[in-house]
Amino acid sequence: MPRDAFDVVLLGGGHNGLSAAITLARKGRSVCVLERGDRTGGMARSTQIALGVEAPEVAHLLYNLGPRVARELGVADLLETPPLPTVSLAPDGRHVVIEGDAARFADGTAHPDARAFTELSARLRRFAGILARLSLKPPPELDGGLTDMATLGELAGLARLGIDLKRLGRRELREFLRIVLGNAADLVLDEMPDGPLAGALCADAVRGNHVGPRSPGTVFNLMYRLGNGGAPRLPRGGMGALGEALERAARAAGADIRTGCEVARIMVADDRVTGVELRGGAVIAARAVLSSAGPLQTMVMAGVGHFDIEPLRRLRNLRCKGTVAKVNLLLRGAPAVTGLPDDMAPARLLVAPSVQAVERAFNPVKYDELPVAPVLEAVLHPPAGDGRCVLSVNVQHIPHTPAGGWDDAARDGLTGRTVAQLAAHMPGLAALVETAQLLTPADIEDRFGAPGGHWHHGEMGIDQILTLRPANGLAGYRLGVRGLYLCGAATHPGGDVTGLPGRNAARQLLGDGII
Amino acid sequence: MGRHDRYDAIIAGAGHNGLTTACYLARAGLRVLVVEKNDWIGGAAVSRSLHEGWTYSNCSYVCSLLRREIIRDLELPRFGLQVIPYEGGATFTRDGDYFAYYSDHDALRREMARHSAADVDAYARFSQAVMRQCRFIRPFLLRNAPDPTSLAPRDLGEMLFLVKRAHGLGRRELGETLRFWTMSIGDFLDEHFESDLIKAHLAGSGIIGTGLGVYSPGTAYVLLHHYMGDVDGTIGAWGFARGGMGAVSNALGASFEAAGGTIVTGSGVERFVVQGGRVTGVVLENGDSYDAPVVGSNMDVKRTFLKHTDRAALPDDFVRAVERFKIRGSSGKLNIALDALPEIPAAPKGAPFLRGDLHCSTSLAELERAYDDWKEGRWSADPYFDMLIPSQIDPTMAPPGRHMMTVFVQYAPYDLDADGVRSGENWTDAARQAFADCVFDKIEQAMPDIRRHVLHAEIRTPRDIEREVGLTEGNIFQGELTFDQLLFNRPVPGYAKYATPIRGLYLTGSTTHPGGGVMAAPGANAAREILRGLGKANRMPDHAA
Repeated sequence: MPRDAFDVVLLGGGHNGLSAAITLARKGRSVCVLERGDRTGGMARSTQIALGVEAPEVAHLLYNLGPRVARELGVADLLETPPLPTVSLAPDGRHVVIEGDAARFADGTAHPDARAFTELSARLRRFAGILARLSLKPPPELDGGLTDMATLGELAGLARLGIDLKRLGRRELREFLRIVLGNAADLVLDEMPDGPLAGALCADAVRGNHVGPRSPGTVFNLMYRLGNGGAPRLPRGGMGALGEALERAARAAGADIRTGCEVARIMVADDRVTGVELRGGAVIAARAVLSSAGPLQTMVMAGVGHFDIEPLRRLRNLRCKGTVAKVNLLLRGAPAVTGLPDDMAPARLLVAPSVQAVERAFNPVKYDELPVAPVLEAVLHPPAGDGRCVLSVNVQHIPHTPAGGWDDAARDGLTGRTVAQLAAHMPGLAALVETAQLLTPADIEDRFGAPGGHWHHGEMGIDQILTLRPANGLAGYRLGVRGLYLCGAATHPGGDVTGLPGRNAARQLLGDGII
Repeated sequence: MGRHDRYDAIIAGAGHNGLTTACYLARAGLRVLVVEKNDWIGGAAVSRSLHEGWTYSNCSYVCSLLRREIIRDLELPRFGLQVIPYEGGATFTRDGDYFAYYSDHDALRREMARHSAADVDAYARFSQAVMRQCRFIRPFLLRNAPDPTSLAPRDLGEMLFLVKRAHGLGRRELGETLRFWTMSIGDFLDEHFESDLIKAHLAGSGIIGTGLGVYSPGTAYVLLHHYMGDVDGTIGAWGFARGGMGAVSNALGASFEAAGGTIVTGSGVERFVVQGGRVTGVVLENGDSYDAPVVGSNMDVKRTFLKHTDRAALPDDFVRAVERFKIRGSSGKLNIALDALPEIPAAPKGAPFLRGDLHCSTSLAELERAYDDWKEGRWSADPYFDMLIPSQIDPTMAPPGRHMMTVFVQYAPYDLDADGVRSGENWTDAARQAFADCVFDKIEQAMPDIRRHVLHAEIRTPRDIEREVGLTEGNIFQGELTFDQLLFNRPVPGYAKYATPIRGLYLTGSTTHPGGGVMAAPGANAAREILRGLGKANRMPDHAA
């Protein structure tokens, strides 16, 4: 007979749910994680693309999991892999290789804009490092007066941030304040001419969000990516290993993890959470419920009647249009990339030939149309024993549902376009494809419960970050009803595989003294 | 050898901001000269007669932002300024319907309910939210922008003022303010309204004059920028200056001359004379030269420093910052003489909203697509326009029975694309005509017989506006109104207080805080800083109260 009462029930066994579970279980709380699917890890999990071959289902690189949090969660050893270089593929074959703050051509010759790139990249990384400190704590609420301890703590935190910024020196501080709310296109094109290098920076600035390089706020998005250095890595054992490691750590800490368990509703009595009811009727009692589902979906599961109209209205208006599709290609053998030495194959390949190309790729998604030449991020994973290998591709600026719907023609068209675009650099690619898997934003919403199919469960716009994430008045992880918390990517600091929203929400719950 | 003379202060450029600075300085007892390259004053606030019997407000065309403190200080009504509010406006659809905006609250509610009952309530929330932001921002317009990087007592004072105002909002409203300032007008409207037509009607103010689309973050602020003015105390209202927008400049000019000032037209500044890091005067294109220890440039920051100042006199960092300041031409204009009022079949004859701003863009997607064209260097195939017939209210604009129509068009690029090459040179006469035809085609959506009534049409592309008015790229705000170019970042971080790296040389135009529109606040603020620099701060009227 499984246990049916816990201190905390967690909705969703994604990376954030597991981070919260680890944090709570280590503090001695009894924790139960309920996952609808048959694997944990959320968007960081892997999927079997063919018998014996695993592919990263959605996220295929790790770049924003900080060492401190990785240690806290007990997964630091997975990060001990070398960062991958980034290769921005050029139509003329003069591919640009980016490693850290350095850029060069793939044939080893110097890039004319290498110096400008190094300066810009180092500066962004420096700014990003300071901003990243805001990520480790709940966003400041500044709710109480000056005699309130919590407010004083927040003010002290902000003062520290202010001092860090001041330490940059006045000139750099001014530069920070000038660019922080700006758009990536201007920032980059002020320093270098348009081309694959500028395109790569702008592709990173828009990835995962419903924006183009010219959209104000994209410089912040770029800095967010760079918060932990931004070096892309394949964790040891592949992306799926991370989800498994988190699950192991949670179990080791005493958490009860149940897959194939879908929550039908969150039970509320007298304005406090009492537990959850599973599909099928089983009830699990809990003093607190943490949900990594979308905020509005969480509210609906608890019954909207328990909430004020204002937060409900705000969450209904949450900007949340998923724009990334995932294409996993199972290949009969590793493809060669024209103009790229074979030893560069384990790289992050970008198809973002210019800032203008990225902006053009963004235009159609605004009208629920598909881009002609989408921006791609591809990773070739180490081959399996039989030589077959997986090429996983993020396809940016794809509408949740195109006008006309996702019929077979639209799906095949998107996969075909993706393959064709890569084949321009990988001759014979189409013939190598054994299986192609496509996850549209609509599929991602279905499979992972991500609202709108959005990677980050909510657009990372300036109007939806920090104290405004997920919405004004809802930033403290608490969701109206006592004991009900949000712990997914829709909360501060936001998306990517960071473990932070889950960890921060768990710490907030512990601090609130409910359990 | 040209003429030579000596003044206490010289203002380069007789636009409304330059004249405002000049007025305040003259009233403070300085001997002030204004030099202007055109044969007329006014910059982009002018009334010009380009077709006999008609008066065109051929650049700016309506009035609201002009700060009332300045109107009072400079006694502009006494010098002939009269602003007549207009009522409402409308957006016409392709299928013969329209949405009318009425300043009468009940009429507006009825009209909104005709399109969407829910939007009636939404409008109450929307206007409350916008009004709150207006009230928040207005006190900052006639002050220096707070500079968070400075510990100087005055800057700390401005920061404290900001913190106090922000704290006074309370947490919820502060959050709303942060949100409002950083979101797009499209998203803001989407979260309030359901009717596409109502959204499209309201969205225009969020993009006018900018190189941004309705879904670009930051455009909600641009809407605010257009709402924060007033006519006779009615916040957000707009009106016509009787006699065209030149009436604003003429009143300023008259006020200036009454205070003893001198205006010289017909030759622009060739260069600012700098000696030892200090400005000593100006040399004009016609060879005349004038000396003064204080010079205000009413030109935008790029034109001032990249065209008319010796680069050797400027720090490299500063030049770099000026070069990357974004001034993007995005709008054009048609000024049209009509032989009669065109037929508008959709609207009841004589409806009051026809005397206001008329549009034909019916959805946010349509507006966003118009922006996509511009990004590629094309004028919008399906453009947004803000169209008015001021002669219905102001009989001085056209002969009896005839009419004058002004059509502000967005988007039109400065550097037009032709076969993959983008350049201002591509605005040939044929291109200009094709641009105008494209606009007329769309006007026919509301006024099918419009072409029959046209006696004369002045076509103004960003290129024309640059050439005539002197605004870089024809940008009406002397610089994009995006976060990286507002407040303490406008125009250059560290130089947001009207002074420049050259001692004695000040910027007075809307390239400075708080930015564009016929507001005159930059000019007044610059005058305050100039007088402070001269130790005469007490001669500036105090608006703090």
